[in-house]
Amino acid sequence: MDAQTFETMGTVVSLRIGSTARGGAMRDGGLGDGGTRAVTEAAAPDAALAAVRTVFTRWDERFSLYRPDSEISRIARGDIRLTQASAELRDCYAIALDWRDRTDGVFTPHRADGVLDLSGVVKSLAIAEAGEALRGLGLSEWSVNAGGDLLVSGDQSPGQDWVAGIVDPASRHELLASVPLVAPVRAVATSGSAERGEHIWTSAGGGPSPYRQVSVIGLDIVTVDVLATTIIAGGEAALGRSIETFPIEVLAVLRDGSLVATAGLRSGQS
Amino acid sequence: MRKRAAAAAATASLSVLAIGWLVGTPAVASLQNTLGGSATDATVSAAASAPAVSTPTATATAPAVATATPTATATATPAAAAPAAGVTGTFTGSVVATRFGNMQVSVTIAAGTITDVTALQLTDKDSKSVQISNRAAPVLKAEVLKAQSAAVANVSGATYTTQGYLTSLQAALDAAGF
Repeated sequence: MDAQTFETMGTVVSLRIGSTARGGAMRDGGLGDGGTRAVTEAAAPDAALAAVRTVFTRWDERFSLYRPDSEISRIARGDIRLTQASAELRDCYAIALDWRDRTDGVFTPHRADGVLDLSGVVKSLAIAEAGEALRGLGLSEWSVNAGGDLLVSGDQSPGQDWVAGIVDPASRHELLASVPLVAPVRAVATSGSAERGEHIWTSAGGGPSPYRQVSVIGLDIVTVDVLATTIIAGGEAALGRSIETFPIEVLAVLRDGSLVATAGLRSGQS
Repeated sequence: MRKRAAAAAATASLSVLAIGWLVGTPAVASLQNTLGGSATDATVSAAASAPAVSTPTATATAPAVATATPTATATATPAAAAPAAGVTGTFTGSVVATRFGNMQVSVTIAAGTITDVTALQLTDKDSKSVQISNRAAPVLKAEVLKAQSAAVANVSGATYTTQGYLTSLQAALDAAGF
């Protein structure tokens, strides 16, 4: 399978085009009645990568606090006011605030030091937009994996669902689980402290998360990404409330290495 | 009176224990067993975890047990000769409403130490509570869903940095062009 990668947002994005799409192009060419289309689809992997890269670059340039020239950094410094910010930034802020409300304030874009930090939704919004860009190119079989957060479309190959592996935080070259993403389930996100220890802030005095790693599987990438963050930050109460409120499956690794999973992630119960 | 107070205290701490038992991760599996019809044999050995004669203020730490009354019904009269601090017997707690449904437990105390806690009753308020208790259970690694691992094209892990990516499974998959 074609796997293409590029670096952005401090991590790596992997794009895969399902084999049905590529096989279809070859079949069209072979029949000789779709020459133009065959060329278009054959070129698609490059065009697809360019489209995805463009989307991520735009989000990163506007929302990265690691870039001094980004709009969010200018707001953080007080160079511009939120009310003077672009519609894109204000829309993103509105989405983050909406998720704050939907998670009882566990997820929040307001950093303890007063800085507005939208990174909790930016990556998943970029993934979602990249998916739209791929659909705009007429592609229906693909996966976009940005730093371990995954959105898929169509099938991996004819008759084969996309399968997502969940990494074992205790042994990062092994998998805890492998989960077929059967429509409408299309997205997986994992949060934890394994590599970016401080990237999820816990509430003041909240102490460390009871979870070392939390994977959430569901219908759309923004929801699963936000909820994975929320459960890490909010602990058992957030886990209970999230599975009560949203159609998701969760696999959580506790600090002692033991596992908690929803029914759909237990073998024999999918 | 001291004996009664001790029993009440035991039940109060039992309530706390019950909530911890219910909400805690090992609890949910036991809960499922119970729901699955395997009777009421879901017991938790609590000898180590419960100061049986803690003060009744223990209930303050568990707002969810507000409906629990400390008026325990003793199904086995504590041995009359036993000193209050070393109460012995089996006590049945009140029905406690929890977010998972109603439950009732009995506790066996030997010489002031809880030796056994048994779920006596667990009725579900509504179908949702069944769903909840079915949906967040401890599992062994071997019990987690594993599709054909040969088909795994993508790995989801805690966000890997650019550097972390280089040593990740995902990088291996990408390099293999799988």
